[in-house]
Amino acid sequence: MANQEKNNKERSTAAKWGRRAFIGVGGLAGVGLLVGIGGTVYVNKKIKKYSGIGMGEGDSLNAWIRIAPDNTITLAVPRAEMGQGIYTSIPQMIAEELEVDMSTIQVIQPQPEAPYSNTFLLTQEAPNAFKGYSMMEKIYAVLPIVATGGSTSIVDGFNNMRYAGATAREALRQAAAARWDTELSSCKAEKGYIINTVNDEKLSYGQLAEAAASIEIKELPELKKKSDWKVIGTPVQRLDIPEKVTGTAQFGIDVRPDKMLYAAMRHPTTIGGKITAINNQEDIEKRAGVEKVVLTEYGAAVIANNTWRAKNAALALRLEEDSAGNEEISSAGILAQMKEVLGEAAIATPEQEGDVDAVINDENNTVIESLYEVPYLAHAAMEPLNCTVLVDGEDAQVWVGHQGSSIAQNSVSEVTGISKANIKVHSTYLGGGFGRRAEPDYVRKAGAIAKEMPGIPIQTVFTREEDMRNDMYRPAALSQFKAVVSADGEIAAWDNKMALQSVSNSSMSRIMPAMAVSPAKDVATTEGAAHLPYIMKNRKVSFGQVDLPIQVGFWRSVGSSQNAFFTESFLDECASASGQDPYEFRRNKLSDHPRFKAVLEKVAAMSNWGAQDGKYRGMALHKSFGSIVGQVAEISKLGDKQFSIDKYYNVIDCGMYINPDTVEAQMEGGIVFGLSAALYGEITWDEGEVQEYNFPQYDMVRMNVSPKIENHIMENEHYPGGVGEPGTPPAAPALTNAIFAATGERIRKLPIVKQGWSFA
Amino acid sequence: MELKINGKNIQVDVEEQMPLLWVLRDELNMTGTKYGCGVAACGACTCLVDGVATRTCTLAVSSVVGKEIKTIEGIASDGQLSAVQKAWIQHQVPQCGYCQSGQIIAAESLLDEKANPTDEDIDQAMTNICRCGTYQRVREAIHTAAIWRQEENSLLG
Repeated sequence: MANQEKNNKERSTAAKWGRRAFIGVGGLAGVGLLVGIGGTVYVNKKIKKYSGIGMGEGDSLNAWIRIAPDNTITLAVPRAEMGQGIYTSIPQMIAEELEVDMSTIQVIQPQPEAPYSNTFLLTQEAPNAFKGYSMMEKIYAVLPIVATGGSTSIVDGFNNMRYAGATAREALRQAAAARWDTELSSCKAEKGYIINTVNDEKLSYGQLAEAAASIEIKELPELKKKSDWKVIGTPVQRLDIPEKVTGTAQFGIDVRPDKMLYAAMRHPTTIGGKITAINNQEDIEKRAGVEKVVLTEYGAAVIANNTWRAKNAALALRLEEDSAGNEEISSAGILAQMKEVLGEAAIATPEQEGDVDAVINDENNTVIESLYEVPYLAHAAMEPLNCTVLVDGEDAQVWVGHQGSSIAQNSVSEVTGISKANIKVHSTYLGGGFGRRAEPDYVRKAGAIAKEMPGIPIQTVFTREEDMRNDMYRPAALSQFKAVVSADGEIAAWDNKMALQSVSNSSMSRIMPAMAVSPAKDVATTEGAAHLPYIMKNRKVSFGQVDLPIQVGFWRSVGSSQNAFFTESFLDECASASGQDPYEFRRNKLSDHPRFKAVLEKVAAMSNWGAQDGKYRGMALHKSFGSIVGQVAEISKLGDKQFSIDKYYNVIDCGMYINPDTVEAQMEGGIVFGLSAALYGEITWDEGEVQEYNFPQYDMVRMNVSPKIENHIMENEHYPGGVGEPGTPPAAPALTNAIFAATGERIRKLPIVKQGWSFA
Repeated sequence: MELKINGKNIQVDVEEQMPLLWVLRDELNMTGTKYGCGVAACGACTCLVDGVATRTCTLAVSSVVGKEIKTIEGIASDGQLSAVQKAWIQHQVPQCGYCQSGQIIAAESLLDEKANPTDEDIDQAMTNICRCGTYQRVREAIHTAAIWRQEENSLLG
């Protein structure tokens, strides 16, 4: 237990320098006066705002666990399943302490109620609801933020889910002891039964659930040690996969409630524009299958009895649009504006140590200087955005794949005026999230359309084109470096200044306006660029804000998605300038951070770093979302500027892990996601309009380019870090560093393919 | 029009140009086949048409009258998963899963054509996009399914 608390404390400290955007809590300080909910209320089922909707027959032992008389165990998993395996890994944490087989578990997603709040997302402190929430956590438990993002589900749930299982198990043991009128110490929990160790009698959990449900646990049980785990830390097969190979898994776009109709939208084409009139509404409404044409504040829409008919009719709408004065915006202009911002004073300097300017301005020193650039990126999840809403008098229902059931519920409430308590959220699988489905826009739009046809469920589906042109993009960024490296390879000065739009300011103003941080306080801007683990004698990291009406959003790994490319590339430049091997150069600067050093050494060994075998290798090391990832890309030269990306070696230290196979899967997917951006990803504007609108213009890595990936997970007892995002950031710099090793050419701008390189 | 889908004859009354994808999804509520791009660029909508993997989002329904259409719902037979589906579970291939109907159909088609495909064959045949990046596992699962199919065939001998 002491060790556990130590780990928690360590996590909290570590989190501070990985601290993310959501922490701008200033706007909510007044809410802290609200009476919070008691610290131990979750130990029993007396939870005021917990309804257990959808959990089926049986008795609730707490907000997460219901056991039916037939021994079926239903777990309420309040996080979105978007491929990261959370419908399996949260049950693993509960099953470990509850002492049940994973095969007896079924999963539902509960309504967005208080017990399910993701408090870590906002406080960056590992919560323990069973020991009592901190004041800040109580605020989020009262105003539940039931959301999935920031690689936080395990980090948030690691204490709570194990205690949910452990307290339920204790209640079952106590119920059995009372039934048998025997000592608690002779009641043993095993595989869904309580066994009387004196006479080998046994009672199933289903037989005890009703009695157990009314027992209050007065003292928290001790959690199992890592060495005793049987379920956590093992590659349990994912519960969602069987239905994903038969086509029966239900995504948002697959729901078919009775009488449902389909809607297709036409958004304004110019940034910030507004559709002001539909000139051929009557003609379009006469089309076969078309039920209604509507104009909402978000754009025009056609409601029809088939998605294809709705889409074709929407394309035939003749619309008038107010371009909001943004028709002059172009990518060339945006770049010029970013360069201007880079030349102005920074709005924030999140890291400053020593006197960087003095070293850089010293005429005796040679300054290495580089400018890096990345473009805007779309999320382009495979399932185009969609949402189905039924507005029915004072009630509403929403069927949607989302990254936040509370966000979905809020969004429907905002546009329909229906009270949140009367809105039922049906959470489906997500055909990809990557941060896009944390945004409220598509739910609001679907709600606004459905409101025009009350009593009928309306499924609003964005075409791929509408999806890509109305994304909340990863912002473009410039990153300028100046460094002085001494003859013996020490970094005497490191000056890094960035120019970009603030993601947290833009996105939070849509998701939770009260929580929107000012751009100067947006730590997501420099996350992964500030507080690098390497020893540097003097360092400064600062940024300037690019003010544009483009909506930017959280994109898998957020600031780290560009900052790892910037910092790990420039670090390679520093190594090269001082004539040092990129591995040794890094390793020599990691003596303050043994976990980073161990990851780097492991990935170097795995990849046979330094081998003269005709392959070229590049490495990158980066911490994000509480986990450290080291990667080596191994490439072969096929011709002039032509390469094959043969293999990635990936090492992650995510502390204790729940399911090693899903950790590896996230690393594999994260690398491919990072490579797609590095090779192809770019969203551009001309005359205020997005130019890329489908996969032929915005391509992805496919099978033929995808590398082989070899994984290793470090073993330790540190508190868990996230795994959904940390695989992405190092992928680009590992590749460009390998290309440098092969050619001596330094790639400072993404995407690579648009600069004449090709890959097979 | 009469369509033959997963061995059953089904009447549909729709425009001749309606892509097969939308006939399946919105007229017949067979939602295992997915919409991804609408321009035959991603492969999420892939079905077997006369045994060949075909992107159905741009395939007019009138052009498949009289042909054998097989969708993901028809890949398992009598409740028995195909070798490809079993291999997909064995290798824990899907992440979000949205593209996997199309990936599985493309793999079935490849294995019908080449019982023991090489990595190069897989590179050429498997052109569907997976945004989650499951390619390595798709590749491994195809190699496994190739072995299992041959074993099944030799048992059926």
